[in-house]
Amino acid sequence: MIRIGNASGFYGDRLGAVREMLEGGELDVLTGDYLAELTMLILGRDRVKDAGLGYAKTFLRQMEDCLGLAVERGVTVVANAGGLNPRGLAAAIDKLGVGARIGVVTGDDLRADFPEALTANAYLGAWGIAECVRAGADVVVTGRVTDASLVVGPAAAHFGWAREDWDALAGATVAGHVLECGTQATGGNYSFFTSLDVDRPGFPIAEVEADGSSVITKHEGTGGAVTIDTVTAQLLYEIGDPAYPGPDVVSHFDTIELAEHARGVRISGVRGSPPPETLKVCLNSLGGFRNGTTFVLSGLDVPEKAALVRRQLEGALGTEGLTWTLARTDQPDADTEETASALLHVTIKTPDPKRAKAFSRTAIELALGSYPGFHVTAPPSDGTPFGVYRAAYVPRDRVAHQATLPDGKVVAV
Amino acid sequence: MKVPLGTIAGARSGDKGGDANLGVWVRTDEAYAWLVGELTVARLKELLPEAGEVVRYELPNLRALNFVLHGLLGDGVASSTRFDPQAKALGEWLRSRHVDIPEALL
Repeated sequence: MIRIGNASGFYGDRLGAVREMLEGGELDVLTGDYLAELTMLILGRDRVKDAGLGYAKTFLRQMEDCLGLAVERGVTVVANAGGLNPRGLAAAIDKLGVGARIGVVTGDDLRADFPEALTANAYLGAWGIAECVRAGADVVVTGRVTDASLVVGPAAAHFGWAREDWDALAGATVAGHVLECGTQATGGNYSFFTSLDVDRPGFPIAEVEADGSSVITKHEGTGGAVTIDTVTAQLLYEIGDPAYPGPDVVSHFDTIELAEHARGVRISGVRGSPPPETLKVCLNSLGGFRNGTTFVLSGLDVPEKAALVRRQLEGALGTEGLTWTLARTDQPDADTEETASALLHVTIKTPDPKRAKAFSRTAIELALGSYPGFHVTAPPSDGTPFGVYRAAYVPRDRVAHQATLPDGKVVAV
Repeated sequence: MKVPLGTIAGARSGDKGGDANLGVWVRTDEAYAWLVGELTVARLKELLPEAGEVVRYELPNLRALNFVLHGLLGDGVASSTRFDPQAKALGEWLRSRHVDIPEALL
């Protein structure tokens, strides 16, 4: 059995979780997921400003605080915090002076194939991570590997799984899916939260067995709970077809068996089948500029107030790129001003940054000449660039998945 | 009895690009048998009129249904002008809708 914990479900998750997980009990591996479609865009903008950035900076802070502790305890740290610049992150970790053996997984960056995109990253699988772990890395940093690969890689290295061990790989993928959003597996964001103590849920752990089955649990004494319901909730997060495709295996979510276990929930029975011939690519492009504001419409004549301000704004600015939503949050004869008020949201999306900026001025110029009670929830800004997400699929051989081992040797995966 | 669906069903929702997914599960086999019959694509669209193209998947092993709401989020979270651009609360909205649930399941 190998005990794999998680300390991060997104870039911005609880900063102290790495320390909590290292000090809270036994672990073999500690993983962290820092990437999402939106995060790739945020990192892409960081990289435009400074080519040395593009990785999750909070992970570096966590390593500054805790990498020595992890090495001392013999816990391997595996994170996709490298984002768009895993080598940059590895170099920064090396500079911390802990003397940790660092493995790096690269090859996901496909900007050369998609030059029009701000970011273009294939979802790599687990085998690069497995190479680094096998080579004795204390910490493995990757770019865009699938979230579940953070768990599958160390498990595959530990048990010596082959690439065709579909059921074991699928079982570990399912465990990884449960772990990848951190406390969403342990009572966070949980529909029946009133039946649990979820004030400060602990981070999840998967005890993975040689056949890929697992027990989902958490450190003793931490908050939240691991129940069939909390695990079910997380299994349903961000999935599509129950035949869930990944770069290493298709995991059949309709074969998962859950059972209560003394320390949490046991997952077994998961069937796997060979993966698709293509790899998915996450593409973010700049879509233009956006701006928006929210008009507060209080009391009487709410539809007429909305119509007036809309006529005024569109009269001055034109209708192109504007989206309006009137939320009738107002109640009649209300005893607080807030519950007497409706909210009129307007957003502009435009290729022209000047037009996005002009939106603010136009909206504010209405302030003394519009509907009675005119005010907005926050003053509009100058407008900001927005991203457009698109998925693409490329043949596997277009992607040069590589593991750079702690001794500097580069292995093609 | 007309009560919120969330009286017996849990849900979790999220985003994949411009699509939203919405998983719904219940906790007994009897409730699942009812859910499969009740929460068809057509019924989901009645309960969530903002939904467009919807595909339903069944996961009897988890007593769950998974719905993919295609295109609900436009070009993805960074671009969407929806009130909840990552569809985080779509499931809680669905749970709050009132449906006829057999009293034996309550």
